Amino acid sequence: MNAPDTVQPVSAVLSRRGFLAAGGSLVVVLGLESVQAQSKAASTSLDAKQPASWIEIHADNTVWIRTGKCDFGQSSIFTAYRQAVAEELGVTFEAITEVVTGDTDRTPDGGGTFGLLRTNLLNLRKAAAYTREAVLDLAAAKFSVPRSDVKLEDGVVTAGARSITLGELVAGQDLRLTIPVSGRATDFMGVQVQGNPPLKPPSSYRIVGKSYRNSIIPPKIDGTLTWVGDVKLPGMWHARVVHPRTLGSKLVTAGTVDAKAYPTARVVVIGNLVAVVSPNEWEAVQAVSGLAGTTRWSDWKGLPGHGKLLDHLQRKVDWKEIEVAPGAANKGDAGVASARTHAGTYFMPYLKHAPIGPTVSVGDVKPDGSVTVHTHSQNPQYLRGLLAKMLGKSEDDVVVRTYAGPGHYGRSNGGNAGSEDEAVLLSRELGRPVRVQWMRADDMQWSTQSSTSYADIRIGLDESGRIVSYKADHRGPPMQDDRPIGAVLAGLPTIEPPGPKNPFPLHGARNNIADRWIYGAIDNVSEHGHGTFQLGQRESPIAVGLRDHSMRTPAQFQQNFPRETAMSEAAALARADALQFRLDHVGEERFKAILLRLREESGWNTRPSPAPTARAAGKGVVRGRGVSLMLRDNGYWACAAHVAVDLSTGVVKVERITTVVDPGIVVNPLQLRRQAEAGSLMGVSEALREEVAFDESGITSVDWSTYPILTMGEMPEVKIVIAPRPEVGNYGQGSESANALAAPAIAAAFFDATGKPARRIPLRPEYVKAMLAGRPA
Amino acid sequence: MQTILVNGESRRVEASPETPLLYVLRNELGVMTPKFGCGLAQCGACSVLLDGQEVRACVTPIAAVGAKEVTTVEGLPARWASQQKLPAASAAGTLHPVQQAWIDEQVPQCGICQYGMMIKVTELLEHNPKPSNEDVKAALTTSGPSPHLCRCGSYAAILEGAQRAAQLVAQGRGK
Repeated sequence: MNAPDTVQPVSAVLSRRGFLAAGGSLVVVLGLESVQAQSKAASTSLDAKQPASWIEIHADNTVWIRTGKCDFGQSSIFTAYRQAVAEELGVTFEAITEVVTGDTDRTPDGGGTFGLLRTNLLNLRKAAAYTREAVLDLAAAKFSVPRSDVKLEDGVVTAGARSITLGELVAGQDLRLTIPVSGRATDFMGVQVQGNPPLKPPSSYRIVGKSYRNSIIPPKIDGTLTWVGDVKLPGMWHARVVHPRTLGSKLVTAGTVDAKAYPTARVVVIGNLVAVVSPNEWEAVQAVSGLAGTTRWSDWKGLPGHGKLLDHLQRKVDWKEIEVAPGAANKGDAGVASARTHAGTYFMPYLKHAPIGPTVSVGDVKPDGSVTVHTHSQNPQYLRGLLAKMLGKSEDDVVVRTYAGPGHYGRSNGGNAGSEDEAVLLSRELGRPVRVQWMRADDMQWSTQSSTSYADIRIGLDESGRIVSYKADHRGPPMQDDRPIGAVLAGLPTIEPPGPKNPFPLHGARNNIADRWIYGAIDNVSEHGHGTFQLGQRESPIAVGLRDHSMRTPAQFQQNFPRETAMSEAAALARADALQFRLDHVGEERFKAILLRLREESGWNTRPSPAPTARAAGKGVVRGRGVSLMLRDNGYWACAAHVAVDLSTGVVKVERITTVVDPGIVVNPLQLRRQAEAGSLMGVSEALREEVAFDESGITSVDWSTYPILTMGEMPEVKIVIAPRPEVGNYGQGSESANALAAPAIAAAFFDATGKPARRIPLRPEYVKAMLAGRPA
Repeated sequence: MQTILVNGESRRVEASPETPLLYVLRNELGVMTPKFGCGLAQCGACSVLLDGQEVRACVTPIAAVGAKEVTTVEGLPARWASQQKLPAASAAGTLHPVQQAWIDEQVPQCGICQYGMMIKVTELLEHNPKPSNEDVKAALTTSGPSPHLCRCGSYAAILEGAQRAAQLVAQGRGK
């Protein structure tokens, strides 16, 4: 190989590693320092012939991008990422023919699949910008012209009358562009690109802002895509797990399977992890019932039950155990005198992520000790670290391959969704690949949930009805238990459960104020978050209890529902229209703009709540409308819900939901609309239907009849209004805000329709009837 | 041992007669679009057509299939080609109008439920080529053993997809 022929654009380093008879490429690789910091990981588990580059330019003019993020239906990886790279690099959208995602041995950056348009998109934009600058240097040298005379557009570099395609420029060469990065792939946040290569001004964008289609949809629709549940390996066996009888049960004796009926089935016991394995999946499914019936567990009771949950949180939890988290917007004296005060307690139950497909993985532990797990994870590199810890191995020995799978909305952004570690442990035990498919009840009862929360809100008004003070105390368990449950059951090493001693901030038990403050016109603000431990976890002999994990708009949803619902009630106390009341108290002009747009687009009827027709007694249907507002990740969101309440049955129907979003730069209007529509409907589902049922021992929501979600017949008319502001120059985020906005708008609409406040979700008939009667729901 | 007709092909099956069709399709026959969602006929992720009628493969024993033809999403293009009597050349590479509509309208979010959704909408359009939105909602909510569930909330997109599919069916038939 020739000595590297090096040029240095910005702080990236381009080197020519050699000349090739055929092909040729420019690949963008991790900064040298970082590669060394990652020690063996970079050299042993990454195929040197397939460098885990961010961006690759090939001699045939195709461009590949690689990202450790995965797609869960957001589309961003296949649309926004392509668009942003094409834009910054100077190639067409179509030139990017491949997006390699997720696999820990084939992608460079790691980190969780969240904030896709925030830090992660910036990584790719910077990598593309470094690449463009390097290409311009190469072309200037080739043409022997000043660099300022060279430009790159649509994959063609031109200098005056001369031009060359990117493919031609890299043909016959083996070029490496090394860009500076910090962090490790297996860190929670992954690797970040350093430095500040010149980024194109949004005003020049030609690709960002257009409605490109999502390239992963055709192979899903024509049936050619391999989903996680479709992975088959030679010699693979199927497993079903018998999870403990309660969230605190220890194994007394493992049961048996009927050897006559199920001749190939075997029972495997590792600590409190009990499973049946068989080469035949249906045999495993049948045999697991008998095994579960004959396995004996210790009894355990340590949970309040969902009916007593709020009372438990209010009276039994010691909120002094965890340091209180003050809000960033706290100012003035929230105890200042007010003419009138609205005070209320607001409650959110536990919710399930509830993917349509229960978690499924294939573990493959080879005789040489190498481990591959085939799964569907939002943070494959972090999962790799968790599995290595469980096995007492180096991360170098573990590879996580990812596939399309059912959306699970945050459950695996800390790595695991449930089945991965069980598959690995069973594979190690059997010496062959093992596929673990959780059944519906496993997924409902043994996965993590979105935490419960409650808040006491006080809003003080002056004589004229303006807010003089806002005080909020939010209380709830933490939302990031990343311990793999199979490792916990097997008694193998895991990270610590969430708690104040956990070294990683996200795994602490603090309840930080996540709902960005938006009412800048209020002088006196006091928000505090009070945390605790996961319910039942410390009491559970197996350290399980109710494990929690972030779910769409985590913590912000739990804090925004109380704030926005209370704001609508305070508006009524001030005899003001709820939308106008917000206009009068928001600080930023961008909020005013989306509220005015919402008023117009939603058919908002300006008047104070409750509606003149409001009533809570008698028969028939009453109607109302409500509004909610949120700032999340630089996205400005407003929502109006129109609902009908059947007073006899207690059935609440959402008839129309209108959402206005100003995300700043809109990358792809079509995909944003689809995400926001879907987010809105998931939000309606949470507001009307969803609550995890549990008793003193465990979760009693076991299927879709005991954890009902919205059906198509119940869907409202959905309207999404996109109000771009490219001039602000940043990328606001997608659909999850839409999902959180629905509940407070619907609760406010219920109040408008009936005159009775709705201070909890879901608005199921049994709770609605209590609300209508003025009883605690 | 029995033989079942799947997507136009006669397939020999070794599984015992009580085995649910879903496991036979996926594990023995390599027909992967019917997905495991609940195993309880509560979600529709495993839906297939049995002589044109939507059933839940997770609770349908192969003994109940008999001589009826099983159609999955893999078989929708050929089903359409045969219904339209398309010549083999134009049939190859042609998707069923429901599949094409699902791409045109960018219907899926995660997409795990969409195989069952497309099967159900295919069944609907074969009986009612110009459904109202209420017809589509009823088909996907009340007509089967359970509603077809989408957790991502793609119902608005599904409505648009179904209407687009109806247009494509009408265009296809007009040829």
